[in-house]
Amino acid sequence: MKNKRPLWYYLLPLVSLVLVLVGWLYMAAAKPLLFPSPAETWQRLIKLIEVPLARVPLYQHILISLRRVLGAVTAACVLGVIFGLLVGWSRTFRATLGSIFEILRPIPPIAWIPLITVWLGIGELPKMLIIFIGTFTIVVTNTYTGVAMVDPLTLSVGRVFGASRRQLLMEFVLPAALPAIFAGIRMAIGVGWAIVLAAEMVGASAGVGFLIFRGNELRDMPLIFVCMFIIGSIGALLSAGASWLERRLCPWRP
Amino acid sequence: MAQKQTSMPSGGWKELKYSLVLPLLTIAAFLGVWELASRLGLVSASLLPAPSQLARTFAEKLSQTEPDGATLGQSILSSLQTSFSGFLLAVVVGVPLGLFMGFFEPVDRFVKPVFEMIRPIPPIAFIPLTIVMLGIGFKAKMFIVCFAAFVPCVMNSYTGIKLTNPVLINVAKTCGASRWQIFSQVCVPSSLQMVFGGVRLALSTSWVTLVAAEMLASSSGLGYMIQMGRMLARPDLIILGMLLIGVIGFLISLALGALERRMAAWRAMR
Repeated sequence: MKNKRPLWYYLLPLVSLVLVLVGWLYMAAAKPLLFPSPAETWQRLIKLIEVPLARVPLYQHILISLRRVLGAVTAACVLGVIFGLLVGWSRTFRATLGSIFEILRPIPPIAWIPLITVWLGIGELPKMLIIFIGTFTIVVTNTYTGVAMVDPLTLSVGRVFGASRRQLLMEFVLPAALPAIFAGIRMAIGVGWAIVLAAEMVGASAGVGFLIFRGNELRDMPLIFVCMFIIGSIGALLSAGASWLERRLCPWRP
Repeated sequence: MAQKQTSMPSGGWKELKYSLVLPLLTIAAFLGVWELASRLGLVSASLLPAPSQLARTFAEKLSQTEPDGATLGQSILSSLQTSFSGFLLAVVVGVPLGLFMGFFEPVDRFVKPVFEMIRPIPPIAFIPLTIVMLGIGFKAKMFIVCFAAFVPCVMNSYTGIKLTNPVLINVAKTCGASRWQIFSQVCVPSSLQMVFGGVRLALSTSWVTLVAAEMLASSSGLGYMIQMGRMLARPDLIILGMLLIGVIGFLISLALGALERRMAAWRAMR
């Protein structure tokens, strides 16, 4: 059935991409100030690679943003999994620290930016802290859900075989919750990449978020376009990498 | 936390201790330490105002427009208005698009490349572009929110259709249903739960993105208020805004959760 499609069927993706390109060219011709043409965008990219902006070469901007995200996400994963396990496992912990977490959780990470800049200024730590807040909540929520959804039968089996509470947690609950935990980590990487842009627009001297908002300040439309492409591509790469890691580390996931 | 406990059997004192007493005590202790630290000058009031100060600011802001030019009610209304209109637009466009993409392969092949191209770009990265093209104001904010909510709507509707049980489709085919009938009477109803999950995700995303949009491309709303609080070094305004954003976000997800449970009941009844 699959190979009886007419030719136009295979051309559809191509047609839509061509249409986008034509639309882009048309907009560029109609409003050259707002829409840079593909050629202009390409030249801006080349220029950005050759001439450092704000005395930082392009690859450094990317690396700096990546370092912020990965550093914060790593910290969020380690602390978030521990916190999530405790919240899921101990009722006392859930009733005390868990309730404070529940109150702070619905505050979006971006809403923390003004407060954190007032507290800590605009250095490297506050930016990572903002990303940390956003990703920590995701990891905790997923870990907690994973622990809460462990089949009670699994726990009963553990108890029948005389496992201690610690063994139950480490050898029964943790492996059963791993798929949910990794799903949380994958999500955290994507969200972290989005938050770093917001964190960098507040006050940074390097990073892709800084670049795109510099484009905004200078009304440099080609630069904004180039940055959006770069941000999108890296976002796609990160999500592909995270999925790959998830499959490697957690092959039994449903 | 509260909704988790409703499913547990009520078991006297011990149950009450974990579901009510301990959380309340913790929160009271948290507020108490905060108030004390602020009163005793352990933390400067210009960095972290005491809870009592926050309550005073809250009461004042209900009627006062200083210093950001809007009372609290106006800011909240403005935020809700923007986020709901962006969200509704995303649902109206995104859900049907996702459903069609899931069922009709030509649509899928036509839209997929473009959709996959813009999907990995975080909504925040659209803000600079939007500011240049639409300025700052309602339209710009709505566009950003709409884009943020659009992606989960499309993704979930698409997946919902793809997850339709093939047996159901075959039964419909055997009974002589047309393709449109299969789509509208088999696939769409069976995907509804997934669609609803997407709508729920979209609503919470739209609220989060709205804050970013208001902080950067706006002159009204709660996000603008906390941004002003930062510029004027008024941490009480910032924290008040944050708490309100959190509370409203929580209420929205609570309402959607209730709606979803009613939908689930409807599903079980059929």
